[in-house]
Amino acid sequence: MSNLVYLAAAYAVAWLAICAYLFGIARRQRRLERELDRLQRTVEGKTQQGETVR
Amino acid sequence: MSQDQNDALPLVVGLTAVLVLFSLYAVFIFAPTERVMGHVQRIFYYHVASAWVGFLAFLVACASGLLYLAKRSPRWDRVTAASVEIGLLFSTIALVEGSLWARPVWNTWWTWDPRLTTTLVMCLYYATTLMLRRLGGSEERNARVGAVLSIVGFVNVPIVFLAIRMWRTIHPAVLTTSGFAVAPRMLVALLASLLAFTALYVCLMWTRIRVARLEHDVSALRHRITATRP
Repeated sequence: MSNLVYLAAAYAVAWLAICAYLFGIARRQRRLERELDRLQRTVEGKTQQGETVR
Repeated sequence: MSQDQNDALPLVVGLTAVLVLFSLYAVFIFAPTERVMGHVQRIFYYHVASAWVGFLAFLVACASGLLYLAKRSPRWDRVTAASVEIGLLFSTIALVEGSLWARPVWNTWWTWDPRLTTTLVMCLYYATTLMLRRLGGSEERNARVGAVLSIVGFVNVPIVFLAIRMWRTIHPAVLTTSGFAVAPRMLVALLASLLAFTALYVCLMWTRIRVARLEHDVSALRHRITATRP
């Protein structure tokens, strides 16, 4: 294997790992924002029905 | 996290992108080709920068762990958790890059050299820390476990750094008592990489802490809703 392959592999590994981590965080953030929105609507619904949400 | 801080994120990301592009220029164009190893030596710049971010992240995790134990504020727990996660990511990258560099230069993927071994132990320790945090139990208990493990784990970081001075090793020392042991143009590429990776660490921390905050908000709202159920 040419030495250039090791060089390319090293830089590819670094950027792929960082991008995969960022992609994972972004996906988790979208999921949590949707969940937060859903829960807030549930709380608003309960408040309108007259229940006390502490 | 305040709105002002969120507004500043695109600026920080833009600055990081510029620093990363400059580091790539410095590594592949500006820095000269090493006489003995050839182009493969260019792995060195990102290898050192990744290792540096690992050390920095574990230092931040240790400091925020201490602050959490002193103040019991969830904010410091979020910093600790995020920093351990990112530190583990970059330390693992440094290990893999080191292995890819060792194969053509040392003719082996791995050797039980003191620097390599202590780095592996450090990675395994912090991976265990993250797993122990997720075992379950109350948020307060997980935060306390995370803080204590981050403080104790940092003891290993100076050992990793000093391993090449304390024991006989084949790993080269870049930082010597007389400064950086590299050519001036190589030093520019190294410093550019260190700066770019530090900026990258800031961006990742920013984003990861924001997600941790969201997790906290979702969890708190779930508890509120559960508490109202008859």
